[in-house]
Amino acid sequence: MKGGGLEMGTTTSEVAKSGAAKRGAAVVDFFLRVIAIIATLGSAIAMGTTNQTLPFFTQFIRFRAKYDDLPMFTFFVVANSLVSAYLVLSLALSIFHIMRSRAHASRIVLIFFDTGMLALLTAGASAAAAIVYLAHKGNTRTNWFAICQQFNSFCERISGSLIGSFGAILILVVLILMSAVTLSRR
Amino acid sequence: MEKNGSTKIDIPETSRERKGKAPLLGGSGPGPGPAEYAKGAGYKKGIAIFDLILRISAAAAALAATATMGTTEQTLPFFTQFFQFQASYDDLPTFTFFVIAMALVSGYLVLSIPFSIVCIARPHALAPRLLLIIFDTLAVTLATSAAGASTAIVYLAHEGNSGANWLAVCQQFTDFCQKTSTAVVAGFSTVVLLIFLVVLSACALRKHY
Repeated sequence: MKGGGLEMGTTTSEVAKSGAAKRGAAVVDFFLRVIAIIATLGSAIAMGTTNQTLPFFTQFIRFRAKYDDLPMFTFFVVANSLVSAYLVLSLALSIFHIMRSRAHASRIVLIFFDTGMLALLTAGASAAAAIVYLAHKGNTRTNWFAICQQFNSFCERISGSLIGSFGAILILVVLILMSAVTLSRR
Repeated sequence: MEKNGSTKIDIPETSRERKGKAPLLGGSGPGPGPAEYAKGAGYKKGIAIFDLILRISAAAAALAATATMGTTEQTLPFFTQFFQFQASYDDLPTFTFFVIAMALVSGYLVLSIPFSIVCIARPHALAPRLLLIIFDTLAVTLATSAAGASTAIVYLAHEGNSGANWLAVCQQFTDFCQKTSTAVVAGFSTVVLLIFLVVLSACALRKHY
């Protein structure tokens, strides 16, 4: 008796409307993925092409800053490239969802990988953000000097590359939530 | 059905059980029978119980991370006239962010336990599960960012950096370093548990009866 009321009350028009809503959500999902690809790729390239050499030098200290001088930035570039590659591959699944609105198992697989990539991207972006903050402000207690005062353009580049990454994090969160809502509709 | 001379009235429930009936509904075919409905409820109840267990463990891990990082304080037994050799979590803004973020995540996880219990009691209810998955995703982001940022600082404290002339402070503040590393590990275990929670909620949201 419980199940009867749920099913018998549905009409064909309601089912068709929810199918159209699912298809619309899948199209938005596709476009958001494309934007996230551009954002992560841009971040990886912006961080990966940092290279600033100051015009003076002494015998002992090297006045050159590159992204692989700090392992956190290397991790940032690697994480962004991985997420970018994953998003390109997941475009295929996204197109599949546009064509077939009632696919369930593939949506769960997509949510699983999206959440994993969200964690990876957030870890990379926040590690880089911590180092960028340190580079700007320094820390008196641990005697860590703020290197931004010398390496201006390096600092600007690394700070700017964080923006694309954080934008992609936001987009990934929206993608996961949209997939979950689509799963819960009939 | 045997005809024994009396008139038979066709009740809608019996017609649904016969799978061969042409569907009135457009795309979704015949609706679930009571047997499938009950099996789906059992499956979802199992997922909800597992969800509750994971949620309690994640809350414990997050609380442990907050407490461990919040109680870091080490004073070295020597000092000079100008410098006091003391290290605490609020000397580094990243660690302060870690404590605040982990406190928020553990508070959210504790508050979400009643919603999880509601999901066990009512397996087919959608709204609590949807609420849980939305806030779990946000909690994953917050916890991962706190843990990732703190990992960067802990790594720097252990290794230093020659290019930026940043010294490794762990050689002096050994206890402080150990405690912060433990807190970061607890933070990452919270993240892993939260990811499992998100995927579990997604599995339970399916209408597979």
